[in-house]
Amino acid sequence: MSGREAAGLPSEAWGELLALAQDDLGERPLVERLLALWCAAHGAHAAALYLDWKGGLECVGTHGAGFPLELDEVARTAVEVGVPFETGMDRMSAGSLRLPGGCLLAAPPAALAGGAADPLPLLLAAALKSLRLKLELKDQQFQVNYRVVELEALYDVGLAVAGTLDLDRLSEEILLRAVSLLDARRGALYVLEEGRYRLERTFGGEAGRWFAADDPALSAFLEGGEEAPAPAALLPGARHLFGVPIRFENIPRGMLVMGDKESRRGVGPFLPGDRRTLGLFANQAAIALENARLHLRALEQERLEGEMHLAAEIQRRILPKGAPVVPGFELAGWNRPAREVGGDYYDLFTTHGGRVGLVVGDVSGKGMPAALMVSTLHSALRLLLDQTEFGPALLERLNRHILESSMPNKFITMLLAEVNPRIGVLRYLNAGHNPGFLLRAASGQVDELPSGGVPLGLLPGSRYAMREMAIAPGDLLCLYSDGITEAESAAEEELGNARLIDLLRAHRERPLPEVLQAIQDAVGEFTAGRPQGDDQTLVLLRREAV
Amino acid sequence: MTESLNVTVDRRDGLAVIYTEGYINNQGGEEIARVAYKLIEEGFRVLLLNLGGTKIVNSIGISILIEIIEKMIEIDGRLGFCCLTPTIEKTFHIMGLAQYAPIFSDESTAVAQLRS
Repeated sequence: MSGREAAGLPSEAWGELLALAQDDLGERPLVERLLALWCAAHGAHAAALYLDWKGGLECVGTHGAGFPLELDEVARTAVEVGVPFETGMDRMSAGSLRLPGGCLLAAPPAALAGGAADPLPLLLAAALKSLRLKLELKDQQFQVNYRVVELEALYDVGLAVAGTLDLDRLSEEILLRAVSLLDARRGALYVLEEGRYRLERTFGGEAGRWFAADDPALSAFLEGGEEAPAPAALLPGARHLFGVPIRFENIPRGMLVMGDKESRRGVGPFLPGDRRTLGLFANQAAIALENARLHLRALEQERLEGEMHLAAEIQRRILPKGAPVVPGFELAGWNRPAREVGGDYYDLFTTHGGRVGLVVGDVSGKGMPAALMVSTLHSALRLLLDQTEFGPALLERLNRHILESSMPNKFITMLLAEVNPRIGVLRYLNAGHNPGFLLRAASGQVDELPSGGVPLGLLPGSRYAMREMAIAPGDLLCLYSDGITEAESAAEEELGNARLIDLLRAHRERPLPEVLQAIQDAVGEFTAGRPQGDDQTLVLLRREAV
Repeated sequence: MTESLNVTVDRRDGLAVIYTEGYINNQGGEEIARVAYKLIEEGFRVLLLNLGGTKIVNSIGISILIEIIEKMIEIDGRLGFCCLTPTIEKTFHIMGLAQYAPIFSDESTAVAQLRS
């Protein structure tokens, strides 16, 4: 060995390599210098060093041109079995030498043949080991930092419980963070509504819109992850699916579904730890979603209540403010809806000929739909009374109108009466309504005003019978809705016609407002504070006693 | 919601602004890297990544952005970010990107600072 050489390398080369090894720039310049020395010593045009890293061979340094940054499948196989191959770049042939932790490629392949004692492969292997340690350290640091990002994401979603009540924004935030945290390529957020999972938001592609919550395949998928096959329509086209339920107080509220976990080499299955991460995330998301959902419901409730108040006000305006003054007669009416708005209707009015009109109607159903029909009935009846003589034709036209303007299976029972105060004659039309009662002053007997046709809006071409009776001085007429006679006691017994008639008899001589109040009080006592089940309406007319 | 990444470039007298729109994942990150390395080959040494159109970035995307930062350090260049969502800005701080590539709230400030 000459004084200028050590282990086959000139001393100036050793000096240069030592200087590079101490440089802060790292191993890559050292590797490139080693490769240059190796090419010079072995007559190679080009050489490259590859590191075994995460299942592939990654280039960490080259000398000359022609080697790719990453080897394709053909090249990797050739390296494993030690045969020459084309690099794929410039169609250059290369040979390989396996080193601990990687391999050395050289062109032409003949440069790798034979060889005397050479310290360079040993130095290259040492550089590979150093590079691997550095990459592993960097990777570990990256993973630790990313765990912090995960924890921060959980914390942030927790904060969103107090900060975000906008369901749309919140669902986007939850889905984006979940996709990002799991390195998923695709994702979808579903909320459970009426026994079905409804797609709330999707990311990265189409997703099925609805899934039955009791679908056994879906349940197995949510509990078992990738081991259980996902329903085909969940994220069409995704190769690897993974989902967790979103539960609030152990009640399912939705699900988060992720598709295709990304890596630098493409997409693959999710990792066992991902289920725990997404599960924790879903728990936080559940609280945030529940809070936003309740807020939304409260806003909706507020809106509905506002609309109901408005509807109730409109309905109050429809009902008469008071009774018309008719010499020789007293009139009074009263209505109490079971809800804010009701389906009962009454009116008291005088007609052009000085006659008195009375009407009590009851729309099937309750609440807003019934209230809308009451409004329709009121308008149509008032118009028809102006244009049409009192009689069956009036009700037949009203029936056609109601039939055309109402929903199927909706109908109205109605008792319409007209009194000629001059001669004391009552005429009435009863379309399927409860019979009115005419309490005779002289005998104390009651004459009924029975139905003379089917309810309005039920059948086309319905016919109605008009009946007539005299009203003597002191006679008391009572029209009512079934909310009075069907009011139930604690024993579920109905008030009934007989008790109403008894009340009329008992209070027949009192002023009509007092009679109305007495009946209301009696109904209240009878039901003993039970919630009012139906709208209640009373209309009274009495011919003054001589 | 944009899922694939669109990248556009505005070249301005030695500084290039790269605009992204969509998901910075493996594919998105590779596209940014391809554009950035091409700009470096063209001679640009100051790059600004405007992420105003990006709401989501994953760990693969971040690792590619770190490689671009390393490349810029290697060539003695400068890289900055601007217009990040609060979530992405927080992530970049935790992942250490902000240590080597400054983050600016708006593009004009970023351009002025990177040129100085």
